[in-house]
Amino acid sequence: MAENNVPAPKREIPKSRVMVNQQTAQIYANAWAAKEKGEPVGWSTAIFPQEIAETFGLPVLYPENNAAAISAKHLGDPFIQHAEGEMRYPINICSYARMNIGMADKMSGEKYERVEPAMPVPDFLLLANNSCTQLMKWYENLSRNLGIPIFFVDCLFNYYEEPPAPHKIKYVRSQIENCIKDMETFFGKKFDWDRFLEIQQRSQINRKLFNEIVKLNSRTPAPMNGFDLFNYMSPLVLCRGQESTTAIFEQLKLEVLELIATNTSTFTAKEQHRVHWEGIACWPNLGYNLKMLKSYGVNAVMNGYVTAWDVAYEPGDLDGMAKAYQMSSTNSFSTPSIMAKRAKSIKDYSCDGMLCHVNRSCKMMTFHIFVGHEIIEEQTGVPCANFDGDQSDTRVFSEAQFETRLQALVEIMQHNKEAQND
Amino acid sequence: MTDLNQLLQEFSDVAANPRIVLERYIAQGKKVVGCFPIYTPEELVHAGGMIPMGLWGGQIAPTVAGKYNPIFTCSIMRSCLEYGMTGKYKGLSCAMMPMLCDTFRGMSGGWRAGVKDVPLVAFIHPQNRTDSGALEFLTEEYKAVRALLEKYTNCTITDAALEKSIEIYNEHAAVMCEFVDVANDHLDVITPVVRHSVMKSAVFLEKSEHTEKVRSLMAELNKLPIHEWKGKKVILTGITAEPDEFLEIFAENRIAVVGDDLAQESRQYRTPIPDGPSPLERLAAQWFNRFCCSTVHENESNRGELLVEMAEKQGAQGIAVCLMRFCDVEEYDYPIISKATEKAGLHSLCLEIDQNTQNNEQSRTKIQSFAEMD
Repeated sequence: MAENNVPAPKREIPKSRVMVNQQTAQIYANAWAAKEKGEPVGWSTAIFPQEIAETFGLPVLYPENNAAAISAKHLGDPFIQHAEGEMRYPINICSYARMNIGMADKMSGEKYERVEPAMPVPDFLLLANNSCTQLMKWYENLSRNLGIPIFFVDCLFNYYEEPPAPHKIKYVRSQIENCIKDMETFFGKKFDWDRFLEIQQRSQINRKLFNEIVKLNSRTPAPMNGFDLFNYMSPLVLCRGQESTTAIFEQLKLEVLELIATNTSTFTAKEQHRVHWEGIACWPNLGYNLKMLKSYGVNAVMNGYVTAWDVAYEPGDLDGMAKAYQMSSTNSFSTPSIMAKRAKSIKDYSCDGMLCHVNRSCKMMTFHIFVGHEIIEEQTGVPCANFDGDQSDTRVFSEAQFETRLQALVEIMQHNKEAQND
Repeated sequence: MTDLNQLLQEFSDVAANPRIVLERYIAQGKKVVGCFPIYTPEELVHAGGMIPMGLWGGQIAPTVAGKYNPIFTCSIMRSCLEYGMTGKYKGLSCAMMPMLCDTFRGMSGGWRAGVKDVPLVAFIHPQNRTDSGALEFLTEEYKAVRALLEKYTNCTITDAALEKSIEIYNEHAAVMCEFVDVANDHLDVITPVVRHSVMKSAVFLEKSEHTEKVRSLMAELNKLPIHEWKGKKVILTGITAEPDEFLEIFAENRIAVVGDDLAQESRQYRTPIPDGPSPLERLAAQWFNRFCCSTVHENESNRGELLVEMAEKQGAQGIAVCLMRFCDVEEYDYPIISKATEKAGLHSLCLEIDQNTQNNEQSRTKIQSFAEMD
């Protein structure tokens, strides 16, 4: 193992993080309060058009976000085991799904011990399959097991590089409109289109703010440890259309600008190499990954995952919104499209390499990585290295393999730098 | 028996050697289009005077496909990519691929990177089938597929030809459903391997040619006395039940296959193409009538109940889930199938299918146990 010469200073939790924690706690508290009052509570996929639920004022929680939080606390294994054991779900399906389906089943049992952050049992589901097709199967199973309805927006897939054709936009728009009508009937509430416009505007303000913050990390050395960005995904997922998110991002932006002004960084080691992190975090191993990256002086300054909520459209333009939700996630794009974005990002963020998480749970992202290596190396000239892991299943990741692969990547990046200097 | 044996040999030869079939069609001056499974609108290819040929991989240990797909890819796709990258699919004018699951979505990139000589015609089915815009979407999507097929093959696909092809496909589907019933009266002849070769040969042959062959087979079978099967009976479900060595284990244990819900076999035939205002719309409308399939979104699935009903109708004692390794859509359906099976008092077997593994010993043990159960 490389020697870590930089002692980790005890840092106060930044105000923006405190605000994130408060916001998350409030969202969960609101859902529980609604449940106790007998009001319907929803579970939603992470990139569902949240503007709809927000306009209706529905309490909604996000199982993917919840699974990530529970995995990071190493508390997910009993749910995964329950899904694989008693419930008979095969080990090869997504670990978020196994954890959440297992949890949903345990919730209705007498011996259920709440694991925080705990979600109430849902009364309805919001499904968009722009992240993957497994989400659809996962929610089908939740719907059948719990006997609750799904409101579904099928977001298709961009198998070529062209933007979505008019018939694709028309279909997704039709679903958004029908979803609103169906929800009006189900919840017995009139949809407020003026409020919808406000939520759209707020969502655009928030996504733009987050983009500005992420871009600040293109500076060398970066003001942020790239992993910090994972900590700010929760406002994007849970509250993308809320003012509290604007406040958090404005605070975060101030903090990052302050780091730049003082030429300091939350990456506490010397930034010797900058890499682009590809894929979802290994939540159960986040601490180890970060420790190892620091020990080799590698800052993962940018990752594509956090840009998944950059759903860009003109408020009031429903076609634009339909198109944006078809083009929102890494997994909604063809490999050449997504890798062209990554190549641009590698250049913009002055990355020396790409570190790719071959996530056992995410076939799509892994395909992108396997097919994408050639594209990245051809378009940027930087080396790529893979390591095996999982977003939640603790049985997949190997510390030794991670270090070996990182070491190899560092050697190549070092060699490339020396060759450039010769 | 000579005619019967001759026919059975022909089905077997086609199922085992699709490359020879491909070369025969090319030698006849026909264009051949690869069709990835499942629910690919082959009728469009057929209407262009070409041969749609199923791409279902094969029993191989891939050596180069790993460059573009991870080890946890379903083995059909891994084998297909291997064949594509090593020239085994040379001669195909292009290949149609439905984006039905994450593996297909990823494979669309893998194929384009690794198989440059067979252009990809990708398309996607709408999964929100109850939405009012879904039928129009799929009709438009098929229009785009037709345009790409015409571009890559220089053929013309007219509405009139498509109507004729639809009739040929509906006729073929009906004949295949009839065969399944006839086969159950002759389980001494139609062993699991023979049944599979009749079914699988359909994905490689021009459909009217296959229809005639199956009709001839049924005529020969109908000349034989009805056989009273004394052994156990089973229904198969899953994507495929292969290879022959796997199916032979059933025969060795005196277990007959009396019905299937396999994507490669009967599942595709139970939904005829409906009438409609235009052939493209008819073709699209078929998707909306599909049911109890892991690749099709349904709020409520009666797949378990469907299998139980099939088993009860045919007097089967068990349902064998032939679970394609790393096929996540099928894996998500497994709990509902196994629970429905057991609830009905039937035996449930879970047998792993993997084209890249030659060892069937785990399946052998499970099938033997099933054979020994009362």
